[in-house]
Amino acid sequence: MGTRARNSLLPTFGKALAVVLLLVWSLGPIYWALATSFTTPADLVSKVPHFFPPEVTTEHYARLFGGSSVSQGNTVQSVWPEFSAALLNSLLTSLAATILTVAVAAFGAYAFVRLRFPGRDILFILVVATMAIPAYTVMIPLYRLMISLGMIDTYVGITLIYVSAFLPLALWLMRTVYQTLPISLEEAAWLDGAGRIYTLVRIVLPLAAPGLIAAAILTFLNAWGQFIVPLVFSPTLATKPLTVLIPEFVTRNYVDYGLMNAAGILAIIPPVLLVIFLNRYLVSGLMAGAQK
Amino acid sequence: MATLTLDRLRKSYGPIEVIHGLDLTINDGEFISLIGASGCGKSTLLRIIAGLEDITDGEISLNGRVINDVAPKDRDIAMVFQNYALYPHLTVRDNMGFSLRLRDVPKAEIEPAIRQVAALLGLENHLDRYPRQLSGGQRQRVAMGRAIVRKPQVFLFDEPLSNLDAKLRVQMRSEIRSLQKRLGTTSIYVTHDQIEAMTMSDRIVVLNGGRIEQVGAPLDLYDRPANLFVATFIGSPAMNLFDAKLDRSGSAPQLRLGELALAVDAPAALPNGADIVLGIRPEHIAITQAGAPGALPVRVEAIEPTGAELQIYGRFGATPVTATLRDRPMLREGDTIGLTFAPAAAHLFDKSTGRRI
Repeated sequence: MGTRARNSLLPTFGKALAVVLLLVWSLGPIYWALATSFTTPADLVSKVPHFFPPEVTTEHYARLFGGSSVSQGNTVQSVWPEFSAALLNSLLTSLAATILTVAVAAFGAYAFVRLRFPGRDILFILVVATMAIPAYTVMIPLYRLMISLGMIDTYVGITLIYVSAFLPLALWLMRTVYQTLPISLEEAAWLDGAGRIYTLVRIVLPLAAPGLIAAAILTFLNAWGQFIVPLVFSPTLATKPLTVLIPEFVTRNYVDYGLMNAAGILAIIPPVLLVIFLNRYLVSGLMAGAQK
Repeated sequence: MATLTLDRLRKSYGPIEVIHGLDLTINDGEFISLIGASGCGKSTLLRIIAGLEDITDGEISLNGRVINDVAPKDRDIAMVFQNYALYPHLTVRDNMGFSLRLRDVPKAEIEPAIRQVAALLGLENHLDRYPRQLSGGQRQRVAMGRAIVRKPQVFLFDEPLSNLDAKLRVQMRSEIRSLQKRLGTTSIYVTHDQIEAMTMSDRIVVLNGGRIEQVGAPLDLYDRPANLFVATFIGSPAMNLFDAKLDRSGSAPQLRLGELALAVDAPAALPNGADIVLGIRPEHIAITQAGAPGALPVRVEAIEPTGAELQIYGRFGATPVTATLRDRPMLREGDTIGLTFAPAAAHLFDKSTGRRI
């Protein structure tokens, strides 16, 4: 009994340790941002770091949301107009990129799997290979292109760049999903009188839902976290997202750690909500009962 | 009314031809089975009829209309897939009604049609269930129901019973057959199970390597196999085959099989000394004393009682022999016995061509 207990205890302990390390690694920074966002400016620059705010304050959040607020004894302007505009920009560009990417991937990947046309596989490899090109190498030509198209600082321009960047991964993912679906279901639908598009929409897409959701989550998170692309292509608040706005809270004389972290915490909320919402549809076993 | 005609049908995958110029007419209301070993082209042929595979050459016509280039959805042919291919996200009702909705059948007609077919198949209480909530046999029925509810011109069955257990298979066999008789729909049934083919079909098509070996009623194939392939393929245990020689030295032609001489009615074209294969079904063999006149000496290697019958496996020289006996003689492995058969039960084949004489 002794050896058996030791044998089964050790891996359990190891697993627990790994989980704890992973949690500290991923949640630690978020906790630090949360604690910082509730710490007074004076405590933020104290010599000893505080794991808990010595004095909890909501002044950073007040500056984000309020009309005006008091900071370090001075009445300061609220950043709410900038913050709300950037939040809206982040939401719009990320959602547009997600919807467009998933829609194109849903149909495009199907063509790469089920349709036969010359150069199909080569074309797919080329599309996926674009993922290996670092964004920085195409930044300047892309900038010139966007200027000539008049798309700098426009939702359409930003969204198109995101779609071109994230579509290959979504295509790849959906292609793999479609490849695992038995073709006999589609053949059954054709014999039942359905055309290609109808079969795709009514039979294939519902069964590929977990793949579509995964592609949507990946694309949204990628787009939401973009920094370099909007830094270049979204110079004004017309399209500037949170990721670019928040670092601007660093001014020449003063780094506003509290405000940055309060804004950062708020910026985490939309993707978290989206993942929690979509996660419910990431169910396995959709194919159960189709065969045998 | 649906008569299906295949005319000089060819199918190649790249340079490899899998169906070599096949002709077949399937009559209205007929239940026809395609049978053959795996890779013989029977499933490919079914998929060609369904329109799921293109043909390389030839013509396929339904009621005289060539349908080579007609899309599957416009052929009015229903298919029951080997793995059922039920839509897993739709209920039984929606699975069965899928084709009707696509055809713009009025809603008021869809529900009664589904109910009628469901009653026929004993699925009335399962209409709101999803395929994953059904047993294998029920899924099989839903797959059938989906085909029946459309009232198509032709039913195609691709080994529909191969995933069921033995008992259910026997039950579904007769259910499918009686359903088909009642509906009178032309049906093509692919199977590798000769019992299914024998019990269900009006006619059987035996395929081998993309060619038709023989087409005929089940008992015709059994009683008069056209060649050695059909002779050994149909019937279980398989027909016994013995190498023999034609002897025209006497007044009447004789077949020499070891010590045995049988009077045969050989065509004049066969020369003296021609190699003949003599076939005898296991159940047409009787046993007698070793050394009895006219009996083949066979050494018993194994005895398998199946209850109703006794299978005896032995060897005549190097040739394996199987006998099926209804009685239970006292035999032991290693015994040497004599086997006899009625000359009328013998099948003769030309060894060089494999064709029946």
